[in-house]
Amino acid sequence: MRYEIRIEGHMSRMLTEAFPELDHVVMSHQTVLFGPVVDEAHLYGLLARCQSLGLHVVEMRRMPERGDETHETGTHETRGRGDAAGS
Amino acid sequence: MARPERTVAVNTVTDTLGDDGRERSAPGVDPAGDPFLHTRFVVPARPATFLRRRRLVGHLNQALSTSLTLVDGPAGAGKTLLVADWATTLRGPVAWLTAEGTDRTPGVFWAYVLQALRFGGTGLPPGIGGPADAGRVDHTLLVRLAEHLSERDRPVTLVLDEFERVRSGEIADQVQFVLQHAGPGLRLVLVTRTEPLLPLHRYRAAGDITEIRGAELAFADDEAAALLAAHGLHLAAPGVRALVERTQGWAAGLRLCALAAQQSPDPEAYLKEFEAGQSTVADFLLAEVLKSRPAETQDLLLRSSVLTRFRPELVNALTGRDDAETLLGELHRDNAFVAHLGHSCYRLHPLFAEILRAHLRVRFPGLEGELHRRAAHWLSRSGSLAEALEHGAAAGDWEFTARALVDGLAIGQLFTGLRSDGLARLFSGMPPGTPGRCAHLVRAALALSRGDVDGGLARLRRAEEEPGGEERESVPARLSHVLLRVLAARMTGAPAAAERAVRTARELRRSVPDEQLDGHPEFTALLLTNLGAVRLWAGHAEEARTALTAAAGCPGTAATAPLRQECLGYLAWADLLDGWLNRAERQARAALAEAERFSLAPPPHASTAWLVLAAVATDRSELDVAQAHLDRSTVRRGAPAGACGGRAPDPVTTAAQAVVRARLLLARGHLRAALVALDAAVPATGVTVPSPWAEDCAALVTAAVHLAEGRPGTAAKALEAAAERSPARAVAAARARLELGEHEEASRLLDAAPLRAHHGPALTVRATLVRARAADLRGDTAAARRLLARALLDARRERLRRPFLEAGPWVRRLLGPGPGHDPSWDWLSPRTDADAHGRPAEPSPYPAVVVERLSGRERDVLERLAQMMSTEEIAADLYVSVNTVKTHLKSVYRKLSVNRRGDAVRRARELRLL
Repeated sequence: MRYEIRIEGHMSRMLTEAFPELDHVVMSHQTVLFGPVVDEAHLYGLLARCQSLGLHVVEMRRMPERGDETHETGTHETRGRGDAAGS
Repeated sequence: MARPERTVAVNTVTDTLGDDGRERSAPGVDPAGDPFLHTRFVVPARPATFLRRRRLVGHLNQALSTSLTLVDGPAGAGKTLLVADWATTLRGPVAWLTAEGTDRTPGVFWAYVLQALRFGGTGLPPGIGGPADAGRVDHTLLVRLAEHLSERDRPVTLVLDEFERVRSGEIADQVQFVLQHAGPGLRLVLVTRTEPLLPLHRYRAAGDITEIRGAELAFADDEAAALLAAHGLHLAAPGVRALVERTQGWAAGLRLCALAAQQSPDPEAYLKEFEAGQSTVADFLLAEVLKSRPAETQDLLLRSSVLTRFRPELVNALTGRDDAETLLGELHRDNAFVAHLGHSCYRLHPLFAEILRAHLRVRFPGLEGELHRRAAHWLSRSGSLAEALEHGAAAGDWEFTARALVDGLAIGQLFTGLRSDGLARLFSGMPPGTPGRCAHLVRAALALSRGDVDGGLARLRRAEEEPGGEERESVPARLSHVLLRVLAARMTGAPAAAERAVRTARELRRSVPDEQLDGHPEFTALLLTNLGAVRLWAGHAEEARTALTAAAGCPGTAATAPLRQECLGYLAWADLLDGWLNRAERQARAALAEAERFSLAPPPHASTAWLVLAAVATDRSELDVAQAHLDRSTVRRGAPAGACGGRAPDPVTTAAQAVVRARLLLARGHLRAALVALDAAVPATGVTVPSPWAEDCAALVTAAVHLAEGRPGTAAKALEAAAERSPARAVAAARARLELGEHEEASRLLDAAPLRAHHGPALTVRATLVRARAADLRGDTAAARRLLARALLDARRERLRRPFLEAGPWVRRLLGPGPGHDPSWDWLSPRTDADAHGRPAEPSPYPAVVVERLSGRERDVLERLAQMMSTEEIAADLYVSVNTVKTHLKSVYRKLSVNRRGDAVRRARELRLL
């Protein structure tokens, strides 16, 4: 499973390091954490980690499975910009 | 119970093993040795800059009229301080518990809740008990608690802070149960980051809940202005509004803002800049506040983020400096990150601790493990074993962690007490290759607690093979080794090995300080329980009683309660073997009361006690009662398979179970099934020495089957093998000889029977009955009657009916025609409390003294009789002549001592022949 979690605000390097298993992209007003999630337990663990670090989760969604990692990262950035423009 | 002549021996054992004989303390729920424990029960102090918000206090006051209050919001929303402040205004008692991750199992959670209630001055009755098993809490305890609370004049306010850490649905159900049944006696306030698993919709529908959620906790503009003012910042309204918008009224955000701005040369400009920023609030502000502090303070905060609660000295151990006291005092005064818990004990705000840990990992990669290691060493030196183990495990320093447990003489906690599950879980992370004697000992203990004897013994051998030599090992390590040896000896029925190990323990014990042994009463209790159990197995009854009585007298804590319960069960079994029904019953009931008080899982913890009750009921011919007790003694499916001494497969309990089951089957007339059930009584493998009583009991059941099937010769031969050591064997052998017509041999056996003064009615009455039968066979009816009367008199107080039913029809003949003739034997009629429809059974017109076994054909006739078939119909059904049926009927009447069909059927039902 692959997920993306949108966090309100720009996360510092200190905090993104607290999610070593996920990649991240910082964009306007938001930080998107994304990457493979092992199972449900991992998913809830990630949410609890967000909560305990005082992060506001704006959105969380499962992403369609894709083979190509780089391609996907690219998609993220595009979508991120699109969202920012829309808001 | 200790008899007077044993007192001396008991003292010797307890003296040598270090029990100071002091009074039992109140049943402890206190998991001993945690110096920080009390801080979990204290209502947190409000910092100087705390702002009381009237609208929230007003809303919270509604909590006085609802049973449940939920304060639910994100970390740093100011939930805890709001409730803490409100709680100080309440007139009734307030109990506070700050939940922790360790409270994940019901037993631990409720032990802490009870302690919190006591700490809050709720004055729980002493009889309420407490859980002694980490994994479970007995429902009756929750009932007792709810009942006590519901009867109070003034309600108790129970605050469970950080309830999000309690994730178990089972605990939520239990909380819900107590809340529901305590009625107006309990007001529960849950402070949590996440929605609890309680049926909130029901409370909402009933209007019985006060809810304060995140949106309401958020600071309004005027409140934010007041908070900033308390920090010396006076902003214009638009500035405040912008700040509230940026932080979304989040208390922690505002507070950090104030702190950061305070340290800036131009606070207003600083805040403007912050408003315009896009960073995540907490992280950004925390970094800002941290940055503005001196390097030493930053270092201290980062390093102490690995600790939950701490004292300045511990922080010094992590920083390598000695300024913690000053710096922590400063931080506390500034209300930055640190809360003071009293007794020079601090904690970081949980939100900041998390963020600080993230900083620590980035700034000092790899330091976290080292910090845990240092904390573990410091805590171990200062006697905080539980926390030392947590940090040792977190550091991955397993050699140290195993040594800390063993040298702390705490290895017994792997077997019993509230910590056992948690410790087993902790050490399950220890990699198999961890070197060191202590690691082997811990692994051996874990294996033994799972019931894996072979694995346990193999690891004990590994511990012995460690280089360095046993003598150079620490005394607690050697004592721990001895304890495990005794446990293994008990599980394998090896009394000699156990005695040898206990002798070593006595030697070693001299070089251990008393305080250390006193701090771990479960160590001595485990040693004595295991010793007592293996002595009981080997038939050393007196010595077993000495050890078991001493173990049961060890200071009462949650850790010793299961052992005391176990010992009482074994003592009951010893009484039963001696033939004392009432005494055994009392002892077994005491064990069960103990089990209930401490919420011990019924089986296999209390199985010996239930087995004793089943055996007593069988001897009283109350067979349905016996069956019910027997069923309760067996392990239920799904019982938690954790670590506990009582959960190990104990040969005494296994054999006892087989014997009791076989006896009950025998009493019901299922001869073959009884023999099959016996198989487990005398294990062919796995035990070092056989148990004499298990063999005797098995031989007696086997002989009874031979006798019933008409082979008295075989029965006699089987019994005479060891008749000189067992009175029961001798008596039963004499009876078989009488059946064979060998009167002299019978009386020789009886005279030689090793009956002693300590043998009770279950043995003596049977002997007297055989003598009566002998007199009867000699034609000396007067003597036979006299002996029979004596047997009845001895048996009566114990309601011992079985021997008279076993004896044969001659008893009935000697007793005379019916009730009223001699009222002294009315009690012989077995109790039938109620029939299947719950109506009280009609009093039986005849005492059910004797049943001669019905033949198969007689039984067939009787069954058809019960179906209201006529004599002719029965004859047709069985393909026999009417006369044959009449002959069978006559002998059925004779055997059942009745004259009519209706009576025959009724009697047969009473005797469970139908």
